[in-house]
Amino acid sequence: MSRLLPLLLITGLGLAVLPVMPAIAFDLDGLQKQLTTSLEKLDKMRGKVSTEEEIEIGGNLISGLLGAAALVDEPGLQRYVNDVGFWVAAQSGRSELPWRFGVINSQGINAFAAPGGYIVVTLGLYQLLENEAQLAGVLAHEISHVVRKHHLKALQKTMKREFWTDLTVDAVGDKKDRKTTQKLINSGVQLYATGLDRKYEFEADLRGVVLAARAGYDPFAFLDVLTTIDSINPQSAELTVFMNTHPSTGDRLDTLAGKMDGKLDSYASGVDNADRFRKVMAAP
Amino acid sequence: MPALFQPFCCYNMAAMKFILCLLVLFISLGAFAQVNPEGVMVRQATVYADASSSTQAVGRIRAGARVSIFGRKGGWQEIYSEPEAITGWVRVYQVREGNYATQVNPQEQEDSRGFLAGLASFSRKASGFFTQDNSATSSATATIGVRGLSEEEIKSAKADFHELEKMKTFASNHKRMSKFSSKGSLQANKVPHISGSSK
Repeated sequence: MSRLLPLLLITGLGLAVLPVMPAIAFDLDGLQKQLTTSLEKLDKMRGKVSTEEEIEIGGNLISGLLGAAALVDEPGLQRYVNDVGFWVAAQSGRSELPWRFGVINSQGINAFAAPGGYIVVTLGLYQLLENEAQLAGVLAHEISHVVRKHHLKALQKTMKREFWTDLTVDAVGDKKDRKTTQKLINSGVQLYATGLDRKYEFEADLRGVVLAARAGYDPFAFLDVLTTIDSINPQSAELTVFMNTHPSTGDRLDTLAGKMDGKLDSYASGVDNADRFRKVMAAP
Repeated sequence: MPALFQPFCCYNMAAMKFILCLLVLFISLGAFAQVNPEGVMVRQATVYADASSSTQAVGRIRAGARVSIFGRKGGWQEIYSEPEAITGWVRVYQVREGNYATQVNPQEQEDSRGFLAGLASFSRKASGFFTQDNSATSSATATIGVRGLSEEEIKSAKADFHELEKMKTFASNHKRMSKFSSKGSLQANKVPHISGSSK
């Protein structure tokens, strides 16, 4: 305390003279700006990325994935998936993100999320679903990855610290930044092939069912999706990437059901909107 | 035409009665089946006395066992297994209504979910896609029309920013959301996260 006292006095004095000494105040402003920039850089080194940057990164990553499989050419289906996803995301802690959803033209069974609110589901997975509550469950799992910034954390772990200090949103035209962006896309897309830490998957499962319940859907519908996937021959080509990137479906079911036990029972009467789901499926 | 029609009307009154009886029998059988739907255990499960794992375990039931399905309480389903003479509760995901053979029937799915789904499930059935599907032929047919998103395809992909812009055009908004949720009878609930966090 005795050491702190002089420091407090000096700081107090400095603040007290500010109004009568504009020249010094100006200098202090400059210093503050410098400090803020350094702090921002430090934040990036530590891995704190602004929401704008996160959206930019996510857009780049999802573009990489869309390069591998384009959107299914069914505007009605794409709008419907966005309607379900937006409603579920509105129940999350990051409802302000510009959430975008899509169904991509791949028979592989999987779903992907990218930072900033980009989520895609493969047609192969979509065709396994039976109702809107199951779709909501899948989207809620992916939304949870975004809300908890799982991909961002994984990328920060794998990429060098200097990369994050180089990364800026407004300098896309710069050659160096274009290189940086490409590096990011490559790493991000690699991530989709290798998968997230298994603990993130379990966390997204558990948070996802709660989001589905918040949105008024039967949260147990997500267990039905996992059960269906669990019944598929694990040697199927459609499941290769999914199996490599997720914990075993059996483990997920047991863990999730155990943790849900008695906690979400009163929401099991939530809607499944199977009719609406089928109508969209059947539409040309 | 009348010559063909007339005799049928005249001497087949008894036959008509018989058909009518059969119809009544089928309908009542159908109604009976609906009261007690059949199911298949998709996983081995512990059967509990009530809808909670803190109640007494009354037995175990193997995967693939056929059961009768009764009521549902939250995440629990009441079942009865005749050969094992067990009545009790298992978790909803451990049992499936119907059986797998009918679930991947392309004819059924074509009616309810459109041609695309029917086609997909047809190729899946042919390829032994579902492990429980005993009618599977050979895995050689699996590749027909199936374009998976392989690890190689993902890694070698080039970013498509045009598709990204297209994706943005389908995005929802608050006005669309309120219409969508009210049409679908969706009501938001306040549910805390199970891990304890409310964010």
